[in-house]
Amino acid sequence: MLGLNLLAPVVRTVMAMLLVGGLMGYAGTAFTTTMVVDSGILGGGGESSDAHKYILALLQRESESLSQLRPARDVISRALEQQNVSQQSEEVKPLSLTYLGGGSSGQISVHIYAVEIQAGGGQYQFFPLALTIVGGKVVRVE
Amino acid sequence: MNSARASLILATFLGGLVSGVLFYALTDKGADANPYESLPKAAEPAVTADVARAMTNDDAKGLANQLDMEVLQQLQTAIEPLADIRSMKFVGAVEKNGRTLAAYVAGGRTTDGMDVLVGLVLRIAGDQIVGVN
Repeated sequence: MLGLNLLAPVVRTVMAMLLVGGLMGYAGTAFTTTMVVDSGILGGGGESSDAHKYILALLQRESESLSQLRPARDVISRALEQQNVSQQSEEVKPLSLTYLGGGSSGQISVHIYAVEIQAGGGQYQFFPLALTIVGGKVVRVE
Repeated sequence: MNSARASLILATFLGGLVSGVLFYALTDKGADANPYESLPKAAEPAVTADVARAMTNDDAKGLANQLDMEVLQQLQTAIEPLADIRSMKFVGAVEKNGRTLAAYVAGGRTTDGMDVLVGLVLRIAGDQIVGVN
């Protein structure tokens, strides 16, 4: 198969071990780092990477990224969301973004942020945003 | 010969393992850093701690004494769909220009018996809770 029979058994064994070891090293590292970072053991307060990406996409008005981080919906709902994002004032300038903290239970996690923005005309706003995430998708924003 | 073969297999497996770890470290982009300023965190305000305690203890009278009707209505909306509050965990607070946002994660059950989590933020101005998000 695939000319592998032409290789010496030792070579085949070495290649197989390298491949298996490499895959396990890569997958294991990815899994472990994700679990450790999301738990907050190393600091960062347990901020979910999905919540982090979503809040940045929201502040930077990246509608495509927002759609990817939401559950699958019909094409009309996605089009409406993109239109809503694009119609938001271009003059909104985020001043600060602070991760306050969160909690999780099973597949559900909640992450809360404090946001400061300067809207067009110099209007200043300071408000919180709570993201509810289920299975890696943002299902609720309030 | 068998032990040499076993050693070779183990060595190549470990070599592959290390290579996989290094490959991940070099290729993983990680989460984007926060490009915006972060405000320093504040301690849990006493006034919101009292409210959280009353909610956890199912103390309706205590809540009615601490909050006005408007804030109670906002709180009612904020905790939906929770019907039975089992826990209120303070997760963080920030203060800016005399206003404080105190964030909590409430855990409990809906009327259908489903376990859910809800995030809510109590807004404080002048040591008074003025709103709930």
